[in-house]
Amino acid sequence: MTTQIDRPLSTAMPVPDADILPLPRLHLADPRTRATLRIQQALLAGAREHLRAGGSVEMAHPIIGPVTDPGSRGAKQADIDFYGHHYKLMTSAILYKQASLLTFDRIFLVAPNVRLEPIETSSTRRHLAEFRQIDVEVARATRDEAMDLVEGVIRHAVTKVLAECAEELAALERDTAALQAFVAAPFARIPHGEVVERLRAKGYPQAAGTEIEWQAEELISRDAAAPFFVVGYPKGSRGFYDKESTEDPGTLLNFDLIAPEGCGELCSGSEREFEYAKIITRMRETGENPAKYAWYLDVVRNGIPNSAGFGIGVERLTRWVAGLDSVWQATAFPKLAGVVSP
Amino acid sequence: MTASTVNAMNTVNAANALTAPGFPETEVRRRARDGAAAVFPPLADYGSAVYGAGPHRPPATGSADAIDAIDAIDALRLAPPLFMPGRLAKLIDLGREPLYSDVRLAASFGGLDSPLPVYVSALGSTRAANTSLGISRQAGRLGIPMIIGENVAPMNGFRTSGDEHRKGLLERIHAYLEELPDTVGGICVQQSTEDANSEVWNQVYSDPAVGELLATGRLAFELKVGQGAKPGLGGLTMISEAAVAGLDDQYAIERLVADGPVLRCSSPGTFTEEIFRQQIHLMRNNYPRARCWVKLFPGRDVGRAAEVAWQAGADAVTVDGAEGGTGWAPTAFLDHVGLPLAECLRRIDTGRGTLLASGRVWHGPRAVKLLALGASGVGLGRAALVAVDEDSEHGLERLLQALELEMKLLISALGKYATAELGHEDLWEASS
Repeated sequence: MTTQIDRPLSTAMPVPDADILPLPRLHLADPRTRATLRIQQALLAGAREHLRAGGSVEMAHPIIGPVTDPGSRGAKQADIDFYGHHYKLMTSAILYKQASLLTFDRIFLVAPNVRLEPIETSSTRRHLAEFRQIDVEVARATRDEAMDLVEGVIRHAVTKVLAECAEELAALERDTAALQAFVAAPFARIPHGEVVERLRAKGYPQAAGTEIEWQAEELISRDAAAPFFVVGYPKGSRGFYDKESTEDPGTLLNFDLIAPEGCGELCSGSEREFEYAKIITRMRETGENPAKYAWYLDVVRNGIPNSAGFGIGVERLTRWVAGLDSVWQATAFPKLAGVVSP
Repeated sequence: MTASTVNAMNTVNAANALTAPGFPETEVRRRARDGAAAVFPPLADYGSAVYGAGPHRPPATGSADAIDAIDAIDALRLAPPLFMPGRLAKLIDLGREPLYSDVRLAASFGGLDSPLPVYVSALGSTRAANTSLGISRQAGRLGIPMIIGENVAPMNGFRTSGDEHRKGLLERIHAYLEELPDTVGGICVQQSTEDANSEVWNQVYSDPAVGELLATGRLAFELKVGQGAKPGLGGLTMISEAAVAGLDDQYAIERLVADGPVLRCSSPGTFTEEIFRQQIHLMRNNYPRARCWVKLFPGRDVGRAAEVAWQAGADAVTVDGAEGGTGWAPTAFLDHVGLPLAECLRRIDTGRGTLLASGRVWHGPRAVKLLALGASGVGLGRAALVAVDEDSEHGLERLLQALELEMKLLISALGKYATAELGHEDLWEASS
């Protein structure tokens, strides 16, 4: 079991500048926006090609529902009054992804999510309150197979961009040789504990039992020569659906993909808990009230396949591939925490 | 006790031929008349009374044993020594004979600083805790940390309820902040299992209203495992029949009286060591800029629970003794369930982390004894409510003024000049 270290609380309180975002008419008409969105289109087309070629079926999942991914790191859910019932906007498609494996063994979707992130995320350059994910779930897959698939999707999508978007990449002054090199070799897979040690060796006071902090993630991302996976986050840092290792209790069979160049996390995924009793217990460990997950628990209780899956942030992937300064530049109508925008 | 109940009791023996001397006949008769309602204090007092075990409330079941055992803290005596090396140290430090006014009560606990080793305990959504924002304002003015009860947001709303008697969570925070001096105090927001639905912490953490508290490290979150007055039970709230719709799948509903309010019973939540540990890890993971507190009910494994909490990184563990107060609880729980605070403190290795204690605290002796038993701070619950009921503008301030003077007098009499110097040696127990 990992333990926490005591560390002073960060007391910096970045307040978002009112002019952190340009006027919509300027952003929309900016040639850089145009180039970025074309790159994004090619990325999505590449991801779809790769996933469909592997037998995955594209689905559309709900935008609202009685319950959503409990989320993490202080992100708030947006409420919807659904004819007198308390509904949520989806913060991720995880519950529906697992349930959809009753229909198909391999599914994917490009899903919109809304997470009302803490105000401080407005200055991380990689958080949006509204964003999309390439969400994938594969029945009976292991974590390694899921990471192989992430790698395949990213390599294929980036290769497609390199082939089809030379003009746009040039407009954005993206170093294409570097981009090509990033996806040429297999992505390394580094245990969470090792990353913590590296951070501490660099003088960053990263706690062992928690998520890699945002600043720390940027730090390791800057040092990276290529995208790499951080595997095996400690329990207590992620949702109830990330499967706990039976060989190494307290460690989750999950991963994040970290992009180089300071872009940080592009993708999170895991093997999933799929057994009813374990899911209920894990819900309690994450402070959740199982009663609100009634529909999901009914599905689980009657049996779902074991699976692994992931979500790749569309805007984050675009930001990295296009070499943008901030993730909001990768969307036509950005929403940042605490910033009023259309 | 309502007038009608008293009248009914007075007429009992006239109407019934049977008597049962030595047997709790009155209580049996009350149950025979009122059924499940007799499990609770008189309903008419709901919202205007606060309850708790102790010698000032005669036990409903007629057994005095539980009460005697519970007041072990009152039974302790503070025992000053004749020879005081600590006073000599202070004399050397000051270059003059120390006075009681040289006692320093400023404290730091659970990541928050306070001018006194005192905080305002969680006061919930019941009307008794709501009639004014006086507590919030006065606690803020004094710079005393204040805990906001777990059911305030779900029952009274996050921002406002629109009801003068039920102040929303943010209204309480605003009232507190308006008066709060720089650098001291802080707000601690509770959440329990049921309120995970309302995601109180997520709402608070990302609200601009607490930006200043976060920026100055003065926001704490408290995971509520339970409370002293009703160990093993969840929240109990009387609501109108009309408000039941939509709640009955989430709460147990008891209809104690015909055509009256109904009792809404929350689940207490399920904990194992691992569930507890992971919930604390998740709090620290998700709210890295908030302090992490946990509140324990006085269970028999309270020592182990405190240890798990500290190991998992909790900044403070609050333990509410069986004598702790409540807006509503079955009398059986008040009189018969849970360990007294003194026993909790015996079972907890207080050297392992920051411990906060609550339960019938209102004056200096009890506060000083609890500090001597290892607490770093003591919580005022009912005392704060009564003080503000006495004077909504300054009642709590005056209560604390009295507490402060009394504590200084007592601590200086022990030859000590800081709360951290207090220890078991300052206490005498009749049996020891």
